[in-house]
Amino acid sequence: MKTLTIVLTDGPYISEYVEIAYKLAEAALKQYKVNMFLYLDGVHIPKKGQNPSFFTNAGQLFSGLSERGVVIRACARCAGARGYIPEEEIIEGNNCKDYFPGVRISSLYELSEMLSESDKVISLSR
Amino acid sequence: MKSVFYLLDTAPYGSEKAFGALNAAAVSLNGMNVTLGLYEDGVYLAVVGQDSQKLGLPNLADILYAYGELRVIVHEPSLVERRLFGETLIETLELTDEEEFLEEIKSSDFIILL
Repeated sequence: MKTLTIVLTDGPYISEYVEIAYKLAEAALKQYKVNMFLYLDGVHIPKKGQNPSFFTNAGQLFSGLSERGVVIRACARCAGARGYIPEEEIIEGNNCKDYFPGVRISSLYELSEMLSESDKVISLSR
Repeated sequence: MKSVFYLLDTAPYGSEKAFGALNAAAVSLNGMNVTLGLYEDGVYLAVVGQDSQKLGLPNLADILYAYGELRVIVHEPSLVERRLFGETLIETLELTDEEEFLEEIKSSDFIILL
């Protein structure tokens, strides 16, 4: 099976990239193994407790993708800078209590690994 | 070996993007052909004599020097538009015209815009 990696660098709601990434990933799952790497402000996307009045909850969207097999990783340096701290224990595929299940904080080297194994890469950034 | 092109079109220090591009490019050196392309305001990263001390930020030129194996190309028309062509530039960087810059993008397997 081919592999698609989607790289996101913006936070939720400031653009439509979260929804676009969600739709791309959902469609791609039929033919691709899908990875997502959250970089820079992208690490805010899976935060628990979002309550947008007029938009789809970005964190919940991504949590649903993880349940369907999308591998979602967040850059450790970017996450730490923004207050998301990884814990040693992994529960429900998650190593950060502030994140929805299925999203894991990991090294930036994992981006490199994802790219190396990819057949297609889509980068969404303003 | 796959190739990845990181495209940076924002100036250093005004946001985290240049720092992020350099870090991502550096980790990608392990196992991929990596090119960092400086375009539009991204070309400010090419200028010698950056001093970020008062900003409390790392000197991004030092990071460029530290990763000498990282190939960095600079879009020459962007330099000219910003009157930077006469400035002293970091010597390890390659100047490219419009056509060469686009060819580098087209020939890469992946493009990551930051």
